[in-house]
Amino acid sequence: MLGGLAWDRRVALWDAAMAAARDTLRTAGLREVSTPTRIAAPAIEPYIEPIAAPPRFLATSPELAMKRLLCRGSGPIFQLAHVFRGGESGARHSEEFHLLEWYRHGEDLRVIEADVEAVVAAVFAAAGAGARAPDRWRRVGFFEVFAETSGVVLRGDEDDRELARVTLAAPDLHAFVFQGREPGPLAASDPEGRALAAWTSVFSAWSDMCFDRWLAAQPGGVHIGEFPAALAALSQCERVGGRALAHRVESHVGGVELANGYRELRDPLEQRRRFTVVNGLRVACERPALPLDEGFLADLADPGLPACTGVALGLDRLIMLASGAAHLSDVTLALGPARAPARG
Amino acid sequence: MDVSELRKNAKLQMDGHPYVVTDFQFVKPGKGQGLYKCRLRNMITGATIDRTWRSGERLEAANVESRRMQYLFVDQNGFTFMDNESYEQVAISPELVGDDRYFLLDQLEVDVLFYNNRPVGVTLPSHIVVKISECEPGVKGDSANNPTKMATLETGLKLQVPLFVKEGERVKIDTRTGEYVERVNT
Repeated sequence: MLGGLAWDRRVALWDAAMAAARDTLRTAGLREVSTPTRIAAPAIEPYIEPIAAPPRFLATSPELAMKRLLCRGSGPIFQLAHVFRGGESGARHSEEFHLLEWYRHGEDLRVIEADVEAVVAAVFAAAGAGARAPDRWRRVGFFEVFAETSGVVLRGDEDDRELARVTLAAPDLHAFVFQGREPGPLAASDPEGRALAAWTSVFSAWSDMCFDRWLAAQPGGVHIGEFPAALAALSQCERVGGRALAHRVESHVGGVELANGYRELRDPLEQRRRFTVVNGLRVACERPALPLDEGFLADLADPGLPACTGVALGLDRLIMLASGAAHLSDVTLALGPARAPARG
Repeated sequence: MDVSELRKNAKLQMDGHPYVVTDFQFVKPGKGQGLYKCRLRNMITGATIDRTWRSGERLEAANVESRRMQYLFVDQNGFTFMDNESYEQVAISPELVGDDRYFLLDQLEVDVLFYNNRPVGVTLPSHIVVKISECEPGVKGDSANNPTKMATLETGLKLQVPLFVKEGERVKIDTRTGEYVERVNT
């Protein structure tokens, strides 16, 4: 699609898509909120770079602000938020994009998976572009797909050395992550930081070398659930059978990652520990440690976060898929700089 | 340089060779590490390779520059070019010039690529105008099935040209493909 959609078509597309997404969540009983874009402290992630807006940051997601509202009795809420992630740009990445994020009471991830399916169907229908919405969804476990596509059987809480050993079953993957590279993050001083670095790198390499190909062969949408505890991010973990798993789900359509959902972590001590581990890894990678959101951590302790699930969905990507485009720039409403005056 | 500085046309050095990024793709699972998937061309041999780097990795930028120079002559030292401002002359071996030799007209202006201050190759203009030194006569009535014929340029390159092109005429050639573009009337 050379040059992307015409501008009047894009305006109509965004108008219809945003209305459809909002209608879907309102009808499901959620209320819309709008939290600040300029925030004191982002959710700390190893490889998500906030853009500084001194003395604050532009939000990388509205997650912590929305959870604070939940702590204060907001009930189920959603937000269509502008978010910013430095250094991410490509066909399916942009430094600024829109997250549709929502939270529900209860602990059942299936409920928000059904929400994701409903939002996807509504936006495809609203786009009216003839792109086919996923007519069915499949739910698979992370451990199963990982083993099927790479031959590596995981337990979910291996440290970096164990992970290096078990990934020998997938030689290319192992070599990419563990061999002939500068040690970098794998040289983080604390063992938890090293493990997180190894897991994150294995996850990215596996996505690129194995999972993307598997996904491309799946008709319809895919929810991949029960992540390894080592990749829990802000979700709750649980030991089930021999596995250490996280109640986290990722939703994909047409091979594109659309949404990430959690059974939300509520323990303030565990939350502080996870932020601290990530900060240690960031420092090992020569990136700045980020401030902890003490207001959020205090709210987790008192009044406390009600049992809830939450999910964030990339609306720009969904609109791209629903309009049959392959590049975010084909559908975005961002106009570029002034064009050079036409000659002649 | 940090991998996040990778772009199309970025030049970097690996295993003692300069490479230029010809294709570039950023991929990243939302919570994962970013990957920079590149196709690179060896600026000396022209060989193409694929490489993937992870965010946080560091690369070595290649010390390459290109200078506009004029082609003078070929002798046992190779192909000699001159900088028209400094009058400095450099010779490049036939191996490095490769098939570009077929487009080196006397006094042609080219960009000479220097790697660590050594000349390692030339970048030609995309099109040149060359005289046909030899070609078969056109055969009338055969244009439907065989609309081209073989011709030889003054530089020695053999290529297909339309039937109406005659010996001694000048034609425009695309140096990237080595193909005939049009006849030039002068």
